[in-house]
Amino acid sequence: MELSVFDLSKHLGVAPNTIERWIRQGKLPVSKKGTNYRFQSNELSKWALRNNINLDLTDKETPEKIQESNIALSDAVQNGGVYCNIKGNDVNSVLKACLEKISEIPDDFKADLLERLIEREKALSTGIGKGIAIPHPREQLSYLKHPMISVCFLDQPVDYKALDNQPVSVLFFIFCPVLKLHLHLLSVLSFCLRDSRFTGFLKSNPDPIALIEKIKILQKANPI
Amino acid sequence: MPAIKNWYKTVYQRLFHLDDRLLLIIAGSIAGICSGLAAVVLRLSLESVLEWLHPFRHYGWAFIFPAVGALLSSFYLEKIAREGAGHGVPEVIYSVSRYGGLLRFRSSYSRLISSFLTIGSGGSAGPEAPVVMSGSAIGSSIAKFLSLNDRQRITLVGCGTAGAIASIFNAPIAGLVFSIEVILGEWKFVNIIPIAIAAVAGAQVSQAIIPERVLFFHQPFQVGFPDVLACLCLAVVTAMISVLFTKVLRQTGKIAKKSAFPLWGRAFIGGCTVGIIGMFMPVVLAEGYSFIQSMISGTFSMGLFLAFVAVFAKIFATAMTLGWGGSGGIFAPCLLIGSLTGIVFHKMLFALFPTVGCASEGAYALLGMTGIISGVMQAPLTGIFLIVEITGGYETILPLIVVSSISSTMSHYIEPASFYFKELIERGQFLRPGTDARILSDLNIRELIETEFVTVSENMVFRKFIELLKTSGQNFFPVIEDGSDEYKGMIQISGIRRYALDPGMYDMIFLNQIMDTEVITASLENDLQEVLDMMDINNMDSIPIVENDQFIGMISKTRVLDLYRRELIVQTSVH
Amino acid sequence: MNYKLLHIFRNTPFGRETFLQSLYFCKTINAFPVVYIPKSDKFLMYFSNDAVQVDLDHSYLTSPDTAQSHAEALFNEMDIKPMFYAPKNFTASSLPDISTNFDYLCCPRSVSDLSSKIGLGHIGPKVRRIIKHATFPILITSPVYKPWESISVFFGGSKNAVTALRLGLKTAMSSGLPLDIYTLMEKKDETFYRELVKNEGLTEPVSQLSRQWYFYKKPDFNTMLYEVPHNSLIVLGAYGHGIIRDILLGSKMEQIQSTVTNNLLITGPHCSISL
Repeated sequence: MELSVFDLSKHLGVAPNTIERWIRQGKLPVSKKGTNYRFQSNELSKWALRNNINLDLTDKETPEKIQESNIALSDAVQNGGVYCNIKGNDVNSVLKACLEKISEIPDDFKADLLERLIEREKALSTGIGKGIAIPHPREQLSYLKHPMISVCFLDQPVDYKALDNQPVSVLFFIFCPVLKLHLHLLSVLSFCLRDSRFTGFLKSNPDPIALIEKIKILQKANPI
Repeated sequence: MPAIKNWYKTVYQRLFHLDDRLLLIIAGSIAGICSGLAAVVLRLSLESVLEWLHPFRHYGWAFIFPAVGALLSSFYLEKIAREGAGHGVPEVIYSVSRYGGLLRFRSSYSRLISSFLTIGSGGSAGPEAPVVMSGSAIGSSIAKFLSLNDRQRITLVGCGTAGAIASIFNAPIAGLVFSIEVILGEWKFVNIIPIAIAAVAGAQVSQAIIPERVLFFHQPFQVGFPDVLACLCLAVVTAMISVLFTKVLRQTGKIAKKSAFPLWGRAFIGGCTVGIIGMFMPVVLAEGYSFIQSMISGTFSMGLFLAFVAVFAKIFATAMTLGWGGSGGIFAPCLLIGSLTGIVFHKMLFALFPTVGCASEGAYALLGMTGIISGVMQAPLTGIFLIVEITGGYETILPLIVVSSISSTMSHYIEPASFYFKELIERGQFLRPGTDARILSDLNIRELIETEFVTVSENMVFRKFIELLKTSGQNFFPVIEDGSDEYKGMIQISGIRRYALDPGMYDMIFLNQIMDTEVITASLENDLQEVLDMMDINNMDSIPIVENDQFIGMISKTRVLDLYRRELIVQTSVH
Repeated sequence: MNYKLLHIFRNTPFGRETFLQSLYFCKTINAFPVVYIPKSDKFLMYFSNDAVQVDLDHSYLTSPDTAQSHAEALFNEMDIKPMFYAPKNFTASSLPDISTNFDYLCCPRSVSDLSSKIGLGHIGPKVRRIIKHATFPILITSPVYKPWESISVFFGGSKNAVTALRLGLKTAMSSGLPLDIYTLMEKKDETFYRELVKNEGLTEPVSQLSRQWYFYKKPDFNTMLYEVPHNSLIVLGAYGHGIIRDILLGSKMEQIQSTVTNNLLITGPHCSISL
């Protein structure tokens, strides 16, 4: 296999100038084709072996940059579903009731997930104020096919030990298979929740379609 | 015509690029033969001129000969050959270290002519260094003709050098050893064969034309144990004399440069001085081979006192010749001074211990020669092998080794740089392969620069910059002026942390308010050593390179380490 | 872009004309000049396969104390930032090594002859050697400062001529000035030369950037030279045909530069230009 100066410079991790200088100094096994220098891969491998140099001449496929397929908030909500009138009077019962309603989580995993959610609340309340909480497990749920946000409207506000001590009436559950997507959704969601009009809109108990429409408008405004 | 050219090209390529060793051997032997011829020509012409001038020597005005010779020599070198004056051997080493042995073609003949003028008229210098210079230049020109690469050209330069020394002294091993020890500085297998062959070629050329087998003929010496003891003292003495010689040479050179006389004035004065000394002590004139011969044969006529004075007279005379504008080498003067020292030492030894059976005067002359060569050039192997080959016998080898090693070690201790290298070391140009200095000189800034940097405009709002930060992996952002792309300053992530975490600032500041304009920058003209020093002094891990107010790229220490290692591996590679 | 031109400054009125020409050249193609004020009358340039010693004649060392200020004044006249080159390495105390890391080198027609000879258009042997070994084009200036308004490429069909064509195109691009191509047809016809350009992939740039392509038959060489505009920069390749032919028959380059007074931009066999 023949290599050019440029190819070799990539494989050795040095500048093309350096390769040209080494040729001029007589340090590399090179042949000249017209005005261009060419290297034979078998000679190069021998040379590298003799001199203890790591030279990998196989064509490395440049790893495709893993598409940061950042999912849109509205799609996540569509995946997770919107549920209303969840009954419960404290954190744990409310979480249990929501989980029972959420159909996208396989039943076998619900008990485990509930434990994790409760554990998370114990560490630090996910009530971020203005009556909204964003419960989520610490570890990611690898059994999920796609990320989802389930929105649950509570029948009655519950004391959530939130940051502003206000009772919570809307829960945004964030369930993700991968940490990166979780962080992304968290970021996008917090952006939306900063908008006071949106939080006001949430208090009005909207129906799922309207909610998703509103979210779609909001996420367009997000510069991310 | 093109058909012939193509055929020639294919034959050339097939034959020689298969294995360049064959090519080097052939080219090397040609270089050896040519430099051998040059040496022979110089030697014969010197002999004839000296003979021709000999009858005139007892005239009162004969002291003017060396002056005229030196004058003509420096005039020729400056005006006709237009070669910058210089000793010669350091120039070859400089070119081998920096430029792969590229030497000017005119050096092949110019030094021969100038040293012929200097030495032939009686100047106290040796013909060896000029012949080394010619041989090296011949090797370099052959390499140019064959379009060889640096490594091959250096080998050919070595071949020329070896051929030259081998031819003058009829000593091929000394030629090989000198070439590798002094000129090339590295014992690489690929070099040794062509150089050895060149040395033999040069010696054969000299033998063919001047059929004597050894330069200095001698009777076999009897060397006994007391001699070995005496050698220890002799070694110390020769070391002292070597250091003295080196120092005197350099001092006279410096004085000459500072003096107000024009170039030929200096040469004239130097020559006159030598001439005057020569009137009283003819031993100091020219290269003195005949005197050396008489010393080795034991027929030297001077007594202890005169010989003692002669040592210093010769040192002074050589310094005056070479330092004040004459052209030649120090090899032969070293031999003469060495043999004088040996003779003096022997006479004193005999005077102090008349009953101890020590070897004859001639043996001590030889030992003295080894001592001075090892001391002045700090090339002990060359000293040993040269004397062994000159005398054609191994009987003195034990004392030779003793004298040589002790003398070179001692002089190295006092004067850490040999005569040839001192000048180069002072200029920072002593670059042996595989040394730090050499790597830093070979690596060019251009090869180390990383240029893939996103630049930011000085009028960018901070908020936009924060957004950019989210997706970029850079730690340094060069700030440039809109429109002209002029480099204005640098933003370092570590420096703007406090602003980045304060969202209140995002819409309040433009980048040109928080950029650092005091960052030290380097340019493409700086060499790597300077850039590294800048980074060390200012405690930086990365330095921006700015050329003509344009940002070019950055050099980081981590990249330097990577490439430094690469370079070292390739430079010291087994080929 | 960061193209550098090395100019060896001669502190005489003649050197002033040459330097103004360099400055104009740099300004027009967006390069910047770096001036070397010689302190000794010779210097060495180490190329990859040759060491060329350039011996300057004494006029280069005239009035060294005013050289710097004169050079700076000329820089300021053309509104370019003054930049000077000081050699770092010396082969011998009076023999500096001049770096070969430049993109252009400016020479008068001869560096070691008297101005009278230069006036007659004689190119010194040193300049020829530099051209043979340099990896960058050499700018040979006209005796008197004359701003050039167009570019004329002499395209003879050899490999060097192709490099010269590329250089001409590049210069046209960066200067925005019109480009004409002149070809002296030796035993071949127009289509041969056009094919050659096509094989090098240069048809596009040539049609975009060049104004006109003139073809001349062999005996009309002198007519061609006359018809090149007097205020044009001539770009040509040198030494395309081998040493022997040059020695015996002389080269086109020699003929051209002894007849015309234009500024010449010459590419040697080791030059490589990328567009």
